[in-house]
Formats: sequence, C-alpha cells, structure tokens
Amino acid sequence: MDLILRELRSRFWLIAAASLLAAVAYAATPEYEIEIKNHLFVPDVVTIPANTKVKLVVYNRDATPEEFESFELNREKVILGGRKAIIFIGPLAPGEYPFFGEFNAQTALGKIVVQDDADAS
Amino acid sequence: MLVNSVIIVLREVLEAALMVSVLLAISRPLQLRTSWLKTGLLLGLVGAVAYGLSIGQISELFEGVGQEVVNALLQFAAFVSLVVSVFLIARQNCEPYRSGSLLPVAMASAIVLTVSREGSEILVFVSGFVQMEGFASNVGIGSLVGAAIGYSVGVLFYYFLLSLEDRRTLRISVVLLTLIASGVIRQATGLLIQADWITVMGPLWDTSGLLAEESLPGQLLYALIGYEATPSKVEVLMYTASITAMIIAIAAGLKTSPHNRMKS
Repeated sequence: MDLILRELRSRFWLIAAASLLAAVAYAATPEYEIEIKNHLFVPDVVTIPANTKVKLVVYNRDATPEEFESFELNREKVILGGRKAIIFIGPLAPGEYPFFGEFNAQTALGKIVVQDDADAS
Repeated sequence: MLVNSVIIVLREVLEAALMVSVLLAISRPLQLRTSWLKTGLLLGLVGAVAYGLSIGQISELFEGVGQEVVNALLQFAAFVSLVVSVFLIARQNCEPYRSGSLLPVAMASAIVLTVSREGSEILVFVSGFVQMEGFASNVGIGSLVGAAIGYSVGVLFYYFLLSLEDRRTLRISVVLLTLIASGVIRQATGLLIQADWITVMGPLWDTSGLLAEESLPGQLLYALIGYEATPSKVEVLMYTASITAMIIAIAAGLKTSPHNRMKS
C-alpha cells in the first residue's frame, strides 16, 4: 500500500511540475494555421523552427469530419465539419514530418518542415 | 474510400477486440459467467453514441483540447479497472471465482470505457460520410469489413489463449493485460502531450526504421503493448510506472490470496 501511495505521489509531482513548465512555456508558443478544404490541406507544407513547441490551429472548412493524423509527429485528432482544432507539436529536430487526414487519406496530405533558421511567427 | 474505411474501423476495433478476448479468456478458468461482457459492450455502445454526439462540444473544452483530456481520462479510468481486475484475478490463484461481483464489474468497466472511446470515433467517421451520396456504399462495406477483421483477430486470439492449460491461460492473460494496460497509459500520456498539458523535450529513441508504426505488425503492437516508434521520456517513464503498478497489484493479489496452497 505504501508503495502504491508513494507511486501516486511521485506521479502527482511529475504532472504538477510538467503543468508548471507548460504554463511558463505557453506565453512564447508560436501559432500556425492550416485549413482543410475539399479534403485538402491548405497550405500543405508548414515550415516551423527547430527545437520549438508550436501550436497548430486546423480549421475544417468541409462539411464532413476529418482526423488529423501523423505517425511521425504522434498526433491524432478528430475535427468535425466546420470546426477547428488545436494541436501542439514539438519541440522537433530539423526534418520533414508528414501528416494526413485519416478520413481522406488519398487526398488530404501535408507535411511539417522543421528548419533551423525558420522564423517563429 | 473502401480501403480507407477498412483501415480506420479496423484500427479502432482491434484494440477493444484484443482487450475483450483476453478478459473473456480469463473468465473461463475462473468459471465466471460472461454476462459482464454483454453489459460492458451494451453500455460501451451507449457511451460511444453519447460521446460521438457530443464530441463537438467536448473538443472545445479546456481551450480546445477537450478531446485529448477526456480520452486520457477514459484511458486512466480503464487502467484503474484493469489494475483492480489483475489484483482480483491473481487472488483467485486459479480457483473458481465466487466472491461477489467486483471482478465482473471491473472487467465490464474496462470494456465500457474502451468501447466508448474507440466506438465514438467510428461513429463520427461513419455518420460523417455515410449520408454523402456515392460514398455511402463504400464507407458502409469498408467499415463492416474492418469490423469483421478486427472481430476475427479477437476470436483467434481468444481460442489461442483457451487452447492452453488453465493455469497457463491465466498467466499469459495477466501478462497481456499488464502490457495492454501500460500501453493505454502510454497513449493517454501522448494525448496529454498533444494537449500541451505535459511538456516534452524530444523523442528518447527512434525505432521507425526498425518497425514502422503504420505497418500491420506496428499497428498490432500498438493495440497490444502501445507501441510507439518515437516515444518521449515522459511516455517511457509512465509506461514503466504502469507496468510496475500492475506487477505490484498482481503480487498483492497472490500474497493475500485465500487460496494459497497449504504447505504439507
């Protein structure tokens, strides 16, 4: 029982510390917007700075739902028709990270390009 | 669209199917009546419809990360149900279960929580596309095929587990539950990272070259042990902590078992 309690307590502090860190980091998080139109991502290439956490705002302009999905970014989120979704990604090493709309995987394709010298907007 | 629907539905069904087949396999040596499964699936379906219908509002909660937070909560709750389950299973020490309804309730709630989460996504997908002309038949057939494959994998897995000797069925099932439960926590941690409730540095390692997540074995392992090719430190930590918690629960169950064999 003691062990379980200790386990819980250490987890609580881990989450508390992480939340605090997140709150501090929040102020400086750059934002990028992507639209889904006719089952396509617009723009389909988004360039972001390396080693920086960014906030993606994905607007689904279609009437049908979509699921933003990326194995490389470990992201997965359902976005209903006419709604928007907020997805945090990073910090990432330079490189290309493809993403796709799982509900229209043939057309809804895009990628995040992470560059060392990209400006944080 | 056809192949796409098969994959989408299969991915969601697979996770629930594996969990159900392991819990079902455990019921046999413990001589548990399987009414918990019917209740669990039925309530899970109700939960999936309710969640699917309100996913728009839920998404807007917590400044737009409600989906992640609610999914993570459902997963944490399912983990707790599985911890309670393995504790009670270990306590039985392979003897028939006749001590009340806590174990069936714990197993059913793990199913309710999992089916609600996975089922809602299928419902959002199917209801979003099935009304569109031309898509209707493909989405319908694809989803059915996906569900059927997922179901078959579950059935195969169930009969494989049952083909073993009782004690071994239980042992392997408890190990599998430990991995499934820890995988669930790994996923929940990933969602909290996506929601920016947990901040991470970067992946601890990258095994995507060795085993791609999107491959079939990658997806099977994802459902079974929560496989992730590029996990962060927090995810690895939480995964390890979950395995530890499950082992403690099993050890506690074995130690406090009223069915411990007397030494002669």
